[in-house]
Amino acid sequence: MSGIKTIDTTKYYLQFSKIDPNSNKEKFFLPIRKAIYKNHQISTVIPDGNWKLYLIEKTKANTYSDLYLPSALGFLLSLLFGAIITIVLDRPKRLQQLLAIQEKKLLNSEMKFKTIFDQAPVGIALVKNDTGDLVEVNKKFCEITGYTVEEIKSKSYQSITHPRDLANESAITEFVNEEKDGYTLKKRYTTKDGKKVWANLIVSSLYDANENLNTNITIIEDITLQKKIQDELRESEKQFKSLFKNSPIPLWEVDLSKVKKHLNELQLINKDSSFVSDYLNEHPETVNKCFSLIKIVAVNYKCLQMLKVKSKELLENNLKQMFDEVTVKDFKNQLLGITQNNNHLSYDSVIKNSDGEFIDIFFRWNPIKGHEKFMDRIIISTEDITFRKKDEKIILASQQKLESLINAIDGIVWECNIDTFSFNFVSKKVEEILGYTSEEWLSDPNFWLDHIHPEDRAWASDYCIAKTRENSNHDFEYRMICKNGAVIWMRDMVNIVSRNGKPVSLHGIMIDITKSKNIENDLNNSFNLVTKQNERLLNFSYIISHNLRSHTSNIASIVSLIESAENENEKNELMLLLVSVSKLLNETMAHLNEVINIRTNVSLVIEPLNLNEYIANAMKIFSKEILSKEISVINLIPQNLIINYNPAYLDSILYNLISNVIRFSHPERESIIRFEWIVKKNKNILQISDNGIGLDLKKYGSKIFGLYKTFTNNKLSRGVGLFMTKNQIEAMGGTITIESEAGQGTTFKIEIL
Amino acid sequence: MSQITVWVVDDDPIYQIIVNKLISKSELFLNVSSFKNGKDAIDEFKKRLDENESLPSIILLDINMPIMDGWEFMDEIVMLKSQIKERIQIYIVSSSIAIEDKTKASQYPEIISYLVKPLNNDDLKSIIANY
Repeated sequence: MSGIKTIDTTKYYLQFSKIDPNSNKEKFFLPIRKAIYKNHQISTVIPDGNWKLYLIEKTKANTYSDLYLPSALGFLLSLLFGAIITIVLDRPKRLQQLLAIQEKKLLNSEMKFKTIFDQAPVGIALVKNDTGDLVEVNKKFCEITGYTVEEIKSKSYQSITHPRDLANESAITEFVNEEKDGYTLKKRYTTKDGKKVWANLIVSSLYDANENLNTNITIIEDITLQKKIQDELRESEKQFKSLFKNSPIPLWEVDLSKVKKHLNELQLINKDSSFVSDYLNEHPETVNKCFSLIKIVAVNYKCLQMLKVKSKELLENNLKQMFDEVTVKDFKNQLLGITQNNNHLSYDSVIKNSDGEFIDIFFRWNPIKGHEKFMDRIIISTEDITFRKKDEKIILASQQKLESLINAIDGIVWECNIDTFSFNFVSKKVEEILGYTSEEWLSDPNFWLDHIHPEDRAWASDYCIAKTRENSNHDFEYRMICKNGAVIWMRDMVNIVSRNGKPVSLHGIMIDITKSKNIENDLNNSFNLVTKQNERLLNFSYIISHNLRSHTSNIASIVSLIESAENENEKNELMLLLVSVSKLLNETMAHLNEVINIRTNVSLVIEPLNLNEYIANAMKIFSKEILSKEISVINLIPQNLIINYNPAYLDSILYNLISNVIRFSHPERESIIRFEWIVKKNKNILQISDNGIGLDLKKYGSKIFGLYKTFTNNKLSRGVGLFMTKNQIEAMGGTITIESEAGQGTTFKIEIL
Repeated sequence: MSQITVWVVDDDPIYQIIVNKLISKSELFLNVSSFKNGKDAIDEFKKRLDENESLPSIILLDINMPIMDGWEFMDEIVMLKSQIKERIQIYIVSSSIAIEDKTKASQYPEIISYLVKPLNNDDLKSIIANY
């Protein structure tokens, strides 16, 4: 088409001008973007009427421009020569005369010019001076205003100008009319669809031959976006100022550019941080110098209030007095930050107010964006954290108090996960109780279960899980193994911690109850001892009540019968009866002595004894009976088995049990007596069994070991043997049990410790 | 009127002699039978019941005896109660002064009284008089 497109607009732009015939000044019709570099432009004068066409290079850099510019311009000229003005401008008359001569020549180019006019990157409009009617507009103008060419031609500039700007414009226009000059103006257009568009206008007045103002040529540039950015910038600056001023946090705006410059002069910028740090420590004068180079641009009201200073000026004068040991340290860090190009510093510090009181502050330092390099605009916030610090101290103190309190508790205070039983807190007391440190405990998620006594581990775990599942606090006792291998008893009181009704963790306290457990065991042992002694006492009282009384009542009866005896004969008869009663009484007394003589093992002599030897001795006593009753003996006791026992008791026990076997042997079959040694569950048992007449245990089971309990009419039964045997075995800490069935035989099992 | 029959159930042979002497001296003309334990007594009792022979009027029962004691004897008697038509008075005569024994005796309605040894002439007289 026109060929103008072939010009690279990123490198060049088009400008055209005319010498105003009145002022003889050159007028540019397109917005001047830049100073025109003389060596990088080419211009050509169009002879028909002082028009000048420029092709201007945008940058100086292009080395081929010298060659390219003339050729491009030449090409353009060949297309446009003399064409523009005729169409665009209503020119002075003498121009028209010249044009008339060349009209035909130019007619060909008209279309091409039109294209260029339309292609211009700015809006161009011809406006009638008197009516404001838009005579001619280009494409860009239509684009900006949103109207079509046809539509716009029926409008005046007033009708599309924002009402507010209209008044301004008329005022300027009037002014301009007097001065007879062009003007520039920023105003708003209302587009076809009602939008507002900001435009920069360059208006030039054209005069007719009579020097009457006839037409204005207006060049319009859409600056809506530019305007918007400007507005936003202004708004944000306003907001920033307002924020700064009204901020509830003390803010400073400072200029550190001189500080940075000074550090740069000292060649400290970008040096190794430890080097800079050393340098600053060794050169306090540098630090002081830098401090004096701080320029306070502004401080807000809150800042003055905090520091108890009336004005920024006073603060500037008194800045030195705030400079003390703590501040110096912080300031050195800031200087270090500057040398390291660290633009964001924040830390807790203190600041001194004008009364010399220290205030805890949170110091934060940020350069305003775009000012990072020179550090000429730095925003510093010095938030007053006195209350926060105070609260922190209170919290810290109460934490320490709580911790020392917890650690003083004479038990292990703990907290653990509700699902895994892995602990997240164990108080220091653990070291005293178990020998392990809390760290050792906490580092092993299975510590608790692993250190429970193997015999208690399963049930303690099951119990805890079950109780936790039913959401009930619990309290239980189990044994734990200490670091030194000792076993201690623990009482564990467990509470379930719930949050929002949901159990989240367990906490509790473990108390070492080993001592009380031992006491409890001792108590249990003595209770058992007392119970046994009580049983013996009961038996004893029974003997008194029944057996002694039966003899005494007999004596009483016989005596009263003797008194009422009618003759000597009868008297003698009764006397004999009395003698036999007296003998029985004596016998009973002897038994009672035996019972009393059985004591607990406290004072008993215990010796290592060969069990087989003692069995053999007992059998010897009954050798006559064994022979006559043809009793066979089966002895399965290991040959040199040694037991620790009281010798007299062992003799007595064996004598009584063997005599029982012989007494109750079955008359119709060959009798067998069997001795066995059974080791079962850490228990040693001497078992003596026979195939004698046996006993109905259902009937006599509870009485079998009682004193004076006889179960047959056998005259040898005295009801003493088994009672004595049981007491002797128990005195040695063992037990005796009986298994028997009437007609089948009897087995005695004696536990020997 | 038939003679009053007294059964003495006790394992103490000396006591048996004494009771016999006391009764013969009391001139109450009683018919006395001795049993050395509960088993002997109850066997005789059952035999007499079966053969429809006369049953004892009064039983003097000891508690502690081998084979079958006084309580076991009582339990047998309770079981036979429905078959017994005659009036039988049972006395516990024991040397035990234990409260448990006295309490246990009071639980049997068949037991008239609990007597503590020695038994004397007056006791005997009142037993008979009560009959």
